[in-house]
Amino acid sequence: MNRIKKIYLHPLPVRIWHWINAVSFIVLIVTGLQIRYREILGLMNFRTAVDVHNFFGFILIFNFFLWLVFYIVTGKIRIYLPPLNFRKFITGCVKQARYYGYGIFMGDPNPHHATPDNKFNPMQQMAYLAIMLLLIPLQMITGLFLWDMKLFADWINLAGGIKIVDTVHVFLFLFFTSFIFVHVYLATLGHTVTAHIKAMVTGYEEMEEERGH
Amino acid sequence: MIIKSSETKVEKGTLALVLFGPVFGLLYIFLLPLTAAITLLLAIPEYASARKATVLENSPMCITCHTSKGLEKIFMNRERLSVFVYTDDFNNSAHTFLRCTDCHGKVSMATHPGRAFASRSAFELETAEVCGNCHTDRKLRANPVHAYLTNKINAPPLCTKCHGAHNVKRIAEWRPAETGNQHCLICHEQKISKRLNNGEKLSLYIDETLLSASVHNRHACSDCHTDFSMKSHPLKKFDSSRKHSIAVSVACKKCHPDKYTAVSRSIHSTMVREGNLKAPVCTDCHGFHSVGPKAVYDTMSGVPCRKCHENTFKVYSQSVHGMARTSGEHKAPLCSACHFAHEVEAAAMTDKIRKACLGCHKEAEDAHKQWLPNSALHLSAVACAACHSPDSEKGIYLRLYDQNTGEPFTEEQMLELLGINYEGLSGRMDAHGDGIDSSELWNIVKQLNRKGADARITFLGRMDISNGIDAHRLTIKKNAVKECYSCHNTNSDFFSSVTVAVVKADGRITRYDAKPEVLGSMISMLSIKDFYVLGSTRLRMLDWLGILMVFGGILLPVAHITVRILTSPVREAKRLNRLRKEGRR
Repeated sequence: MNRIKKIYLHPLPVRIWHWINAVSFIVLIVTGLQIRYREILGLMNFRTAVDVHNFFGFILIFNFFLWLVFYIVTGKIRIYLPPLNFRKFITGCVKQARYYGYGIFMGDPNPHHATPDNKFNPMQQMAYLAIMLLLIPLQMITGLFLWDMKLFADWINLAGGIKIVDTVHVFLFLFFTSFIFVHVYLATLGHTVTAHIKAMVTGYEEMEEERGH
Repeated sequence: MIIKSSETKVEKGTLALVLFGPVFGLLYIFLLPLTAAITLLLAIPEYASARKATVLENSPMCITCHTSKGLEKIFMNRERLSVFVYTDDFNNSAHTFLRCTDCHGKVSMATHPGRAFASRSAFELETAEVCGNCHTDRKLRANPVHAYLTNKINAPPLCTKCHGAHNVKRIAEWRPAETGNQHCLICHEQKISKRLNNGEKLSLYIDETLLSASVHNRHACSDCHTDFSMKSHPLKKFDSSRKHSIAVSVACKKCHPDKYTAVSRSIHSTMVREGNLKAPVCTDCHGFHSVGPKAVYDTMSGVPCRKCHENTFKVYSQSVHGMARTSGEHKAPLCSACHFAHEVEAAAMTDKIRKACLGCHKEAEDAHKQWLPNSALHLSAVACAACHSPDSEKGIYLRLYDQNTGEPFTEEQMLELLGINYEGLSGRMDAHGDGIDSSELWNIVKQLNRKGADARITFLGRMDISNGIDAHRLTIKKNAVKECYSCHNTNSDFFSSVTVAVVKADGRITRYDAKPEVLGSMISMLSIKDFYVLGSTRLRMLDWLGILMVFGGILLPVAHITVRILTSPVREAKRLNRLRKEGRR
């Protein structure tokens, strides 16, 4: 029988960042929906929704830089960077995709074993690299532009107009909304349903240690 | 014998002709002129005495009665007229050589004084018509002052109105001391008028009391009517009273060049130049001879704008400004405070009115900052009246503007760039005539931004009142729109009406209806790329995409869990196998 081992996967700053991020995302999505669909939703008035959205938008921006500084200073940023060996990366992606699409149903072991230095499987690496270094910054920038169109008028002009900026912001909002469902579901795929979630609270990930490993 | 006798007669006759012929010839040549001269000389004293004949001598019978004071004619309408004649007046008149019956020819001793007249005016008309017997129309036409009087349709005044009845004199003798304006008023204080080419009647009557009360009361008539003088009275012809007003307004330039220049730049003046005969010129607002002081025009009752903009003025009167003005709050703006008195420009779709609002409400920008997020943006994209006139009809106006210059791209520039005329433009804007749709809107932008064009054209949106009249329906502050939801939802009144407003160089706009869905079309990202209202101009396609994405985000885990549940026996079997293997070991 596999033994359970605990590894310290998520340092405290990362956990704080994650949960601030999580709360911000939820609030931003809800208030974003309220702003966009005022005639359908009646959770709060428009002004409150905008104010709360702006507040949490800035929290998210601040939090992002907290994350960025922490990961750069500690050098942990490399866990987001795929290996230089492209073939190995692609093979890893395929293996991981095969696991989620087939192996997980057949009871095959997860091909990726998270360690503090190699936390993400190749698919996560690819997804989080795009999210953290491309999509969230883009969402923050477009959000900033929408927050004060006069102040960022020249940048908005450079981006092709406010309508394009808004479309990008809304598209990413929809993407993040749908991603959260997948993200939460994937968080339940630890050795127990709550293993990954607990890890993000305590920092310690419980995982089965297969005999022979 | 008979022949001899006849020869003797012939000889005698010839002798007589030779002797007396020259004598008679001389007599004929000298005697007749002499006789004529003597006759003339004899007639001069008679002629002279006739000129000096008095009315008493000319018409002794008439004078017998008509020198009695208190003698009156009673007309059928009960009007009374004194028929007393001042003989001195008549004796000093230009008509002193006439007899009473020369003018009163219809008076017959058989019927006098029994002739009946309906009224005094009927009597005056008949007697005045007699003047034409001597002063024929042909003679009158030679004098510009009288020329128009010969045309009866000009409704000339009776001769007696100017010249009097029994005291008739030449003008020069009549009022020799009257010069300047009084000279002109001799005729123009009469209710005279003239017919214009189009048949209109132009009054030439000057109300002296109004003239005296005007700010121009110290001016001579000829200061404005420069080509008129005591010696010169040119005959002028005008096609219509409107053309007359336009022509005479030029006179104002002489003393008011700055105002005249301002007016010439105004939308009113542009319309006049275009041939719009309803557009006002100086005299339409200030009058001709009753020009009042500035304060007169700055009152609710005296503001001249209401003559043409009556509907707008009614709405204004009920507005917060109009009511404040009526109640005596003098700071409240009247028309010219926002639109200016002379340099009136087209107001719709411009920043001029916003600037005018902020000109008085200097604290407004700061006050809005206190509660309105992005207040500067709101104040530039939303017309003041859009919120402060909450019950008015509203809409979105899309204007073309050049991103390079930050200025509106005018209709004239469009026509030049596209190489088409105005009618052609209308066809290009809305080919099907059913309202501009998103492809047509994009087509316009595409054509204007074609290769080689200097400008970068896009549509800029503005939330505004749908018509100029409603823009004056301003209400008190507490009734103004303050609720974000009023605008930030797709059901807002603003988004049910979309108009493409093509601005002319002079500020006027040509409106083309557009379909409201253009605001939510994907193509609008390219054509209306700088107009966006949070929650209201959302792209419909993005809504559907969002539903798909979120549905996908939920479906993926649900499907995965389902497959996991379905395949759990496989995993269980595999686990048991593994345990069994481990047990064997």
